[in-house]
Amino acid sequence: MAVNRGTGTGVEQDGAEPIELLACGRDAAQVWDHAARSELDEHERGCPHCAAAGADARTLDRLVHRMAAEPLAPPPSVMDQVMGAVLAELRPPDLLSLASPYGPARLSRPAAAAVLRHVVDRVGGMQARSCRIAPLAEAGGTGPTAVLVAMTVTAQFGVDLASVSARVRQLLVAAGEQALGIPVCRVDIDIVDVFDDTTPRGNRS
Amino acid sequence: MGAILRAERTDRAAPRVDQLGGCPGYAVPDPVYGAVPGRPGRVDRPDLDEQTLVVRAQEGDAAAFEQLARRHQAALYRLAVRVLGNPTDAEDALQDALLDAWRRIGRFRGDSAFSTWMYRVVTNRCLGVLRRRPPTAPVHEMAEPATAPGRSPEHVVEVDAGMDALRAALRQLPDGQRVCWVLRELEGLSYAEIAEVTGASETAVRGRIHRARTRLAEVMGPWR
Repeated sequence: MAVNRGTGTGVEQDGAEPIELLACGRDAAQVWDHAARSELDEHERGCPHCAAAGADARTLDRLVHRMAAEPLAPPPSVMDQVMGAVLAELRPPDLLSLASPYGPARLSRPAAAAVLRHVVDRVGGMQARSCRIAPLAEAGGTGPTAVLVAMTVTAQFGVDLASVSARVRQLLVAAGEQALGIPVCRVDIDIVDVFDDTTPRGNRS
Repeated sequence: MGAILRAERTDRAAPRVDQLGGCPGYAVPDPVYGAVPGRPGRVDRPDLDEQTLVVRAQEGDAAAFEQLARRHQAALYRLAVRVLGNPTDAEDALQDALLDAWRRIGRFRGDSAFSTWMYRVVTNRCLGVLRRRPPTAPVHEMAEPATAPGRSPEHVVEVDAGMDALRAALRQLPDGQRVCWVLRELEGLSYAEIAEVTGASETAVRGRIHRARTRLAEVMGPWR
């Protein structure tokens, strides 16, 4: 590639060398980008310096595309080991106390939250996002074990929000008592987003 | 949409969960995400959006984190392999980086895409590995890649030899250039996204990528 090494006036790159200008004065990086996208302008198509840069770009591009298409996937052992470490690191102190006549019983708060989220997920038209469980004593109440549940959810566009929310609320209260053994005295539901059933899976914002 | 519903319920006479059709067989509910290969009993939830998974993981939900990690692990592994130059180091770096991500996910504020944040975690881990490596031979000492003595590029199997040559040339680039080039040319990130990943300015990123391209084109001359 023909470059103008002596008179290049490109911007300094955080203390690195400036991008060289081609002998015709064009920004070499820009010409390369144009060539890689097959979007050379009129000057770039006719100029020998730009043409040389473009040829470099196209030559390299063929191999680069092949390299990008190479199948590379980590072995399953990577995720297995990561999740083993993650689960071993779960912190025990974040616990909810359960009423038990047989001595102290405690439940991990993230596990309880996961159960309640699962309840919401099973309801058509709504999915749980955040789930905060606070003992009522912390929230200003009097009962030692009753809790306040504050959830954020996403709702499917078009569902009857009031009706679905009422159902979710009933389910959360029931799940708290029947599945977790924790009286749920209050359920706050914030609907923070909507999703369309036609939105591609996994691409919702 | 902001908060449009906020309500309070104190009714203790709640119906049974199974009576409401919510969770049949709910005696020991399992907040599962999926029939993940190798993890019996877990149900994949491809319908959950990324933001929901991030929030759940930030609140300590390991299953949500696992799903996020599985979604991104292939791209992160490709980055690590290209930057570090070998699969073994890449596996170690990816493993450490994912554990870093779990420990630090509470600090992710959503200012950038989650994938960008994950790329940053992996990039930092890879650069740390490279810093601890003994220095490699400088570029001018690099053997002409895949050009066996007495054989011109015309006499080798050109495609594979070209790929080998490109890999070798990539390994010889300065680390910062290699990271930027891989993110741009192999992972398809924009200059702005690469700047976020690397913490460099967009102009610096553009310069590094151009110098990497120029160097690679130079080295790959015999395969033209």
